[in-house]
Amino acid sequence: MKPRLDPFKLLTTIPVIIYSFFLILLPLVYIFFISFFKSDNYGGFEISFSLKNYLEIFNPAYLKIFAVSIFIGLTTTLICLLIAYPFSIFLRDKSQKTQNLIIKLVMVPFLTNSLIRTYGWITLLRKNGVVNSSLLSLGIIDSPLNLMYNNFGVIVGMVYTLLPFMILPVYSAVSKVDQNYLDAAEDLGAGKLRRFFRVYLPLTLPGAFNGSLMVFIPAIGFFFISDILGGGKAMIIGNLIKNQFLTARNWPLGAALSIVLLVMTFGLVKLYEKIGGNLDELGGG
Amino acid sequence: MPNLILSKYEPVSKMVVTKKPGARSQEQVLKTLFIILVLAFLFLPILILVAFSFNESQMNIIFTGFTLDWYKNLFENRALLEAFRNTLLIAVLSTLISTVIGTISAVGFKKYNFFGEKFVGKLIYIPIVIPEIVMGISLLAIFTFFKIELGFFTVLLAHIAFSIPFVITSVRSTLYSFSENIEEAAEDLGATNFETFRYVTLPMIKPGIISGAILAFTLSLDDVVISYFAAGPGTNTLPLYIYSNIKTGITPDVNALTTLMLVVTILALFISSKIEAQTLSRRQGK
Amino acid sequence: MKLNEKTKFGIVGVLIILFVSIIFIIKNNNKENQFIGELNVLNWTSYIPEEIIQDFEKEEKIKVNYGTYSSNEELLAKVSSAAPGTYDLVFPSDYMVELMSARDLLEPLDLEKLPNKQNLNPLFLSQEYDTDNKFSLPFLLATTVLIYDSSKLDSLTSYRDLLKPELKNNVVLLDDQRVMIGAFLNAEGFDSSDFDDAHLEKAQNFYKKLKPNVKAFDSDSPKTFFITKEVDAGIVWNAEALLAKQENDNLKIVYPAEGFTLSMDNYVILKNAKNRDSAYKFINYLLRDDVSKRIVEEYPYISPNKSAENLSPDELYEILKNGTYIKNVGENIKKFDTFWANIK
Repeated sequence: MKPRLDPFKLLTTIPVIIYSFFLILLPLVYIFFISFFKSDNYGGFEISFSLKNYLEIFNPAYLKIFAVSIFIGLTTTLICLLIAYPFSIFLRDKSQKTQNLIIKLVMVPFLTNSLIRTYGWITLLRKNGVVNSSLLSLGIIDSPLNLMYNNFGVIVGMVYTLLPFMILPVYSAVSKVDQNYLDAAEDLGAGKLRRFFRVYLPLTLPGAFNGSLMVFIPAIGFFFISDILGGGKAMIIGNLIKNQFLTARNWPLGAALSIVLLVMTFGLVKLYEKIGGNLDELGGG
Repeated sequence: MPNLILSKYEPVSKMVVTKKPGARSQEQVLKTLFIILVLAFLFLPILILVAFSFNESQMNIIFTGFTLDWYKNLFENRALLEAFRNTLLIAVLSTLISTVIGTISAVGFKKYNFFGEKFVGKLIYIPIVIPEIVMGISLLAIFTFFKIELGFFTVLLAHIAFSIPFVITSVRSTLYSFSENIEEAAEDLGATNFETFRYVTLPMIKPGIISGAILAFTLSLDDVVISYFAAGPGTNTLPLYIYSNIKTGITPDVNALTTLMLVVTILALFISSKIEAQTLSRRQGK
Repeated sequence: MKLNEKTKFGIVGVLIILFVSIIFIIKNNNKENQFIGELNVLNWTSYIPEEIIQDFEKEEKIKVNYGTYSSNEELLAKVSSAAPGTYDLVFPSDYMVELMSARDLLEPLDLEKLPNKQNLNPLFLSQEYDTDNKFSLPFLLATTVLIYDSSKLDSLTSYRDLLKPELKNNVVLLDDQRVMIGAFLNAEGFDSSDFDDAHLEKAQNFYKKLKPNVKAFDSDSPKTFFITKEVDAGIVWNAEALLAKQENDNLKIVYPAEGFTLSMDNYVILKNAKNRDSAYKFINYLLRDDVSKRIVEEYPYISPNKSAENLSPDELYEILKNGTYIKNVGENIKKFDTFWANIK
């Protein structure tokens, strides 16, 4: 019989228990508590119990930010899907060597700082920027377009930053689709679209949902992108939460907003599990 | 918090694609063009940032002329160098610590049933899926609650906190790919738990550990959101330095530093694929 | 990406060695200028030139950890969420000095340790927000101004002129709640610190009319918008306007007819500051005549330092007469927070 206290067991289980308790559970539970407290207007809070902070979220101004964020998040996700699918399907036709090379290239942007890449978009999108001056000199437009300091700019920045997170799982799923199914479908007279909707899509759904989660969730939280490309007004939930902590000094409201965001996230993850997604594959792990 | 594991995305099926020549070649050209356009989209801002590292003007707005001065200035900008050093130090330390904890924990999860295993097993997914901002503020709140002064230590702790789950899932995916029989055989032969781990398990899960470590390192290197909340006055990291300077305009020495980092990483990738190609051909030659 | 395990191990090893050596190189490099002290400063963005901080570090061997904020509210949030003693020296404006001292966040200043305070113009001392300068000494005076591109716009004299339809999506505003709400209140003929609900609602309606014209909010570097010709008009800080004008001669600067905000930013030392002596040394350094002069040369705000005066007494008199300081409104601060959350 094994001794009751197996030191190896202690070594392999105690750290993760301590870690998950102190650095995951406790902080979130504390935020949950704060979300019921009362703000003192100066960055502190009074211990109390009220649902006031949750009710405050229904303030039309905040609801609008929620609506705009979800719009930005969904648009970003959709655009990423619309790029990632054809990209992956077309890439599948290439030789193994080319595929490896291109997937490596897709990952290179990760190796440069994401802020400075986003900053690069200012040079491209501003009124006299690269995009506008090219379009003007080509005669496609006669006055500069407003490409940033609005939702459009924020969406461009989000798509840019998050696209690889969509391409990688979608490509991984698409490349696993058995060629025989596709050939069979083609032999049975299925056109390209039909093959996509009847073969590719069902077989790659968990991959696509995985990518969508990895795009949508950051897209409503990445405040630095809307800071840089949104001109301080196209606000997403991430900005709203950040502002509660860093300018409005209303931690309880920021905490309540975070809890709402958390519940939304958990809902999406549950949905992902329901359609057959594996939690271990989220984000590649 | 999205992430990637390099090995995960290699195509599993090595399917032979039968190309039909002729009529389809035009279509092939269009498909290739699409792929190139997507890559161009991904690389455009990077090209801009590299170009501006050679720009004479201090403002990162209009290209006025070519200079290499910023590469020299870079080494005189103490705040930038210090931020860079902190970033590397935090990345190396958090990678080492989270890889060790993540690896032994993955083993523990597989080997043992322990108190709260299921619950802890669910908890560790949270940092992977929740918005970074929620993770950031919850850590800030708990640091404030325990009156831990924000600084190097809190940033390090925060980076360890978000890296461990990625290491665990990465190690676990290799851990579950081999049979327990091997470990049991070792134990039947009289090996202690530690010996089995050291001589049997560890060598087998090495690829998972390394992938996890690379991932933890990249995540730490580029983290803005969580560091933003966890950092104190004396600990700037490179992303935080850039974030605070974006407000007034990034100077080209930051571009120069980023360009240098980019060159180093691309070189590493290039060398790795060279070695990889060599080993592959050597193996095929046998 | 298929990496053979040994290769991966090799890369990781090489990278770790590389990074660790870089860390050590940088560390050793720093040893050359051994620091004997440290100082944690939070200041407004674009307020002290970096070279001045570096010169101070060399002279006093004190390492300055310099962070920035964009509004008084952000400063307050940062100070109150951090553990006491995290920051030593900060630069709140007038009303925020009053609010912070009322919240017991400030350490009384020991003026004995600041011999260079004699360089200050008495005109700026003992103000209403801190009579007797118990907690603060003035650092720089900022004012809000209107700025516009005269090649695009004939004239612009008041906040109301910003409503012109030809300015659609062409205006930049400061990202600062009290200052901007103050301007909207001014535009409706009220005091910039008026917290009467009906008056605030009028101000909110003014913003609703202005909104289609607003391209961005930026406190940190609104000048960039004018230098790159991204916008044609805006409400910005005086120094930002002057710096923009240096780059683009078509820009015109005016003091708005309805009134404008004066914002005196002050040196204050925070309660429980750990590096008090360093803080005094830094304040005293910044009060030096030559240093004050260099600051306003780079950021042309109005210096309270006698020898760094960049305005004629008459101009200064006019500005002080026509501008108003923002006032501390106590608990009513909540109304401004909500106002701001509603319009952004």
